[in-house]
Amino acid sequence: MIVAKAERIYCPVCQARFKFLEGWKAGDAVICPICGQTLRLESGSEGWVGTRPEKGTEHEIRERIDQYAKLKGYVFNEMREELVQGLLGKNRRFGDFYCPCRMEHVPEYQCPCKPTRGGDVERNGKCYCGLFWRKP
Amino acid sequence: MKNKPKVYALSTCPYCKRTKRFLDEHKIVYDCVDVDLLDDAKQDDVLEEIEKLTGKRSFPVVVIGSDIIVGHDEEKLRKALKI
Repeated sequence: MIVAKAERIYCPVCQARFKFLEGWKAGDAVICPICGQTLRLESGSEGWVGTRPEKGTEHEIRERIDQYAKLKGYVFNEMREELVQGLLGKNRRFGDFYCPCRMEHVPEYQCPCKPTRGGDVERNGKCYCGLFWRKP
Repeated sequence: MKNKPKVYALSTCPYCKRTKRFLDEHKIVYDCVDVDLLDDAKQDDVLEEIEKLTGKRSFPVVVIGSDIIVGHDEEKLRKALKI
């Protein structure tokens, strides 16, 4: 039987730690409840970590934004596809899925970016790039 | 037009693409910089330029004479270009 060393799991996308739920075990695929990333659970020396099974693929980012929107109850508009292409361009040129409309390529601007996770959509009706929208 | 309009853009930003497409469709000749594709030293200079012009790092930025338009805004572009 696998026993959790720590009760939180580190997500390499949003860099937060979320709660380990009973019944999860190494190898399981779970969704980060903070950013929507699909993670494979691994038990490391520092406790539980999630790894990105499809790191850098188109499927990874499409699934992440869909799962994030679902978690938060956000919607997309007609810009969605062009913004996804922008995210793919960021990954090709700068190594990960950073906000397509921002200059900086830092972990906090990994989509969904920190300001979005911090409530920008509730405050402004949309995220900085206009990918996630508050339900009308 | 005395000076060509200038566009500061990001290569991955769809709003920047729309601004460029709008100018192209209206046969406007303009200079364009994809700021994210510049090398580091040049990028710092251009970002400083943009911050001086607009007070922020938001894209696209279009400079048409004395008009500075931040974001994709066809109405403002039409007005500044008198089209």
